[in-house]
Amino acid sequence: MKIRLKANPLTAFWILIVAILVAPILLFLLNSISPRSLSQGPQWFTFDAFKSIAHGQFAQGLVDSFILGVIVAVVSAFLATLIAWIVLRTDSPVRRIWPFFVFALLLAPSYLIALGWQRLIEQRGVLDIMGIPSAGIRNLFYGPVGVFVVLAVKGLPFAYLVISNSMRSLGGEFEDAIRVHGGNRLEAFKTMATLLSPAIWSAIAIVFAESISDFGVAATFSSESHFPIATYSLYLAIENFPANYPVGAAVGAVLLILIVIALLLQAKNLRGRSFRTLSGRTRPFRRIELDFKGKAISTGFVSTVLIITLGVPAFGALSASALSGVGSPFSGHAWTLDNYRRVIGLTALHDPLIFSSKIALIVALFAALLAAVCARLLTQKRAGVGAQLLDFILLAAVALPGIVFAAGYIFAYNLPLTNKLGIHLYGTTALLGLAYLAGALPSTSRSLVGNMSQLQESLSEACRVHGSNAIKTWFDVTMPIIAKPLLAAFCLTYAGTLLELPVSQLLYSPGSVPLSVGIDKALANYDYGGGTAMEVLGILSALVVVGITYTLFALLAPRGWKRIGVARER
Amino acid sequence: MSDKKTGQLVTVRGASKFYGDLAALNSLDLTIEPGNFTVLLGPSGSGKSTLIRSLAGIERIDQGSIFFGSESMTEGDKHVAPEKRNLAMVFQDYALWPHLTARENVAYAIKRRSFSRDKSEKHVVEILNRVGLGNKLNNYPSELSGGEQQRVALARAIVAKPSLLLFDEPLSNLDADLRERLRIEISTLTREIGASALYITHDQSEAFALADQIGVINKGSIEQIDVPEAIYDRPVTRFVATFTGTSGIFSGVVKSLGKKSCVVTLGKDELIARHTVPLSVGQTVEVLVRPAATSFTTQDENRISSTITDIAYRGRGYEHAIETKYGTLTGVFDTISHARGRKMEVSIDPEKCIAFPSEATQ
Repeated sequence: MKIRLKANPLTAFWILIVAILVAPILLFLLNSISPRSLSQGPQWFTFDAFKSIAHGQFAQGLVDSFILGVIVAVVSAFLATLIAWIVLRTDSPVRRIWPFFVFALLLAPSYLIALGWQRLIEQRGVLDIMGIPSAGIRNLFYGPVGVFVVLAVKGLPFAYLVISNSMRSLGGEFEDAIRVHGGNRLEAFKTMATLLSPAIWSAIAIVFAESISDFGVAATFSSESHFPIATYSLYLAIENFPANYPVGAAVGAVLLILIVIALLLQAKNLRGRSFRTLSGRTRPFRRIELDFKGKAISTGFVSTVLIITLGVPAFGALSASALSGVGSPFSGHAWTLDNYRRVIGLTALHDPLIFSSKIALIVALFAALLAAVCARLLTQKRAGVGAQLLDFILLAAVALPGIVFAAGYIFAYNLPLTNKLGIHLYGTTALLGLAYLAGALPSTSRSLVGNMSQLQESLSEACRVHGSNAIKTWFDVTMPIIAKPLLAAFCLTYAGTLLELPVSQLLYSPGSVPLSVGIDKALANYDYGGGTAMEVLGILSALVVVGITYTLFALLAPRGWKRIGVARER
Repeated sequence: MSDKKTGQLVTVRGASKFYGDLAALNSLDLTIEPGNFTVLLGPSGSGKSTLIRSLAGIERIDQGSIFFGSESMTEGDKHVAPEKRNLAMVFQDYALWPHLTARENVAYAIKRRSFSRDKSEKHVVEILNRVGLGNKLNNYPSELSGGEQQRVALARAIVAKPSLLLFDEPLSNLDADLRERLRIEISTLTREIGASALYITHDQSEAFALADQIGVINKGSIEQIDVPEAIYDRPVTRFVATFTGTSGIFSGVVKSLGKKSCVVTLGKDELIARHTVPLSVGQTVEVLVRPAATSFTTQDENRISSTITDIAYRGRGYEHAIETKYGTLTGVFDTISHARGRKMEVSIDPEKCIAFPSEATQ
């Protein structure tokens, strides 16, 4: 077999993937078995790091993470499927408000959700100030329940986006076929779930990986509740003095293995089955008309989910930002907008928001573009070794906790070899941007895979044989059809980057403080009001950007682009 | 529409394509003369889709060459991209772009021609009118029926007057009536623009109705390529004969041989059949009976007793399934119906039954 190396876009793409994903990951993992190669210990080759995590708090953290990851992934995928069905396939009134809230959920990283709960239920928190007894809920939440709730809140929007994008593309003919052949609505729903299984398995894989690698909850609930999870153990290994990178890398490697198992299970479940359901022949689905009881139940269910996931932490953050003296046993408490005035007026408080907004915009544009390329490669009809390798790399990258990923960047871009190659990125904003991009790419790509897998190859082939080259085909056919998922991917990455914590903390350059670091600094200085006001303004600004993006799409996109996946109203 | 003929010579030599150990194309040769409408007839997995996709440039053959006129499209390391081959294709699943209207789908394909905007628009509307969709110009694919969608796909394929038109089983998803009407449209429109055409199908009636020449493809190779009459009357292999339509197959032994005919012993009966391949006396053979060979009219020779087992009304008359001592025959036509269970003598036209060496003895 001939191997041809050519200077083409695909080669450039792979060089980029290696530079921003593979090299940092491998260098980090190398720590676990060869600490000396990265000046982290005396041995060239050893399993000592793995032996030391086989017992005690490390082992407990891994077990807790695995169990939580499975439960959170399954619960999130189930809730997301149910909600997607209510929102997309029925005329429940809640369908009009859910899309707005799902982005709000996406915008809020786990540490902000956890902080919202904390501000509310902590001693001398908002509930205490308001005279509402909170000891019971505090005891309940500072433990596995709190960690589960926060992770599920974080997983739900990911799962919803993946599943809803596929559900939009699923024509009504499949449901109709069940109904006319004697199946009831439940059977139609079950068949639809089977057809959606690529998306559901993608959702489970993403949420599982996100959950076991989450750092935000490790830094908040987990650390204060004596409920060890893997990322917190790992964080301690890296943050304690002296830092033990080999042990941190060993924990990361075990997390990766767990993800590989998830990937294998996903592949086993989908092997040999075709789920290509989107084509020019796809017929729009019709919404099911619910009666009053159905509307009430669906609205009640979705509202309850919203209150738990978004309402409570949002109330916690909003009230803490609008109350003076939260967390303080000495000062009085009063409703005020002073915290917002300070954020808007003080450079130290609003500069992080401006900086993060700019870098998030650039990263989101590149991530959406690259993720679309990745998703296309992953869903090619005859996926070769390259696609399988990319699939593995992306999932492995999802599994790596952000803080470890950032550590990998420090290693990779501070090596003498990197400097010899003329790459001087260490300590620059460019490196931070690349790390954001690399961090966002895996989940963004996988969120597009479900939809892309439904795109029939013949649509692109028809474009080629009718006179368009590969790039024109991409822009003329593929992009319009996946425009909505692509837009969602852009918004998802924008919001995620705007509020990203672990990579920001390790890689920011002193002159350019990202928003999350700014919030963290404010909270570390006991400026709870200023910190939570920054949180609120950050989320609001992200919502504004999402709103503007979708408004521009509604105004400027051709009619045909907007029709894809739209329900036919009765 | 312009009278200018656009078709060109297509030559495929020694084309092979492998998927792992499986040879989808096996040193296949094919020539399509300019303006010729060639149909490749073969079962699923015979390699016809691979061939048409290789001609389109979507797939790349592993060995062999493809020439359009004197210009090589695929040869050695050279592989001309699909968009540079000046061809068009009608896909089995239509492959209409769902975000574009019927007019926009068709207009897309004309962009490769340097027409003015007005001329393009006029031409698009004209071609959509020609396929009967003048009133659905602005409908999206999901707002069209299956037949209408395939008409748009046909309009899209011919609008730019390509030199080669490829049809990948375009009628297989349509009902019989629509299929017949669209078949006629495909036949007339393709010949109007004068393009060379390659049409693949597993439906022999479609193949015979459309083709200037038919190639019967099996296991990645073309077993026979000729005009439809020759394929039907003088099949050179058992597979070609079987795949182009049989009423039934009888096993027997060659009793005597003529230059083109032979007498085959079937139990107590004897049957005269033609042969297109060399046979020998005493050889075990299979006699393939064409549907048109059978009738209930009495003649002196080639008669076998039978029992009617089924009747199907076909408008112009009735087709019967009959059971003989040597096997079943279907499609035995008569203008009147004969009751199920009735004993009848069936006559078999020696010109329309062909003896081939039995597969077991080959």
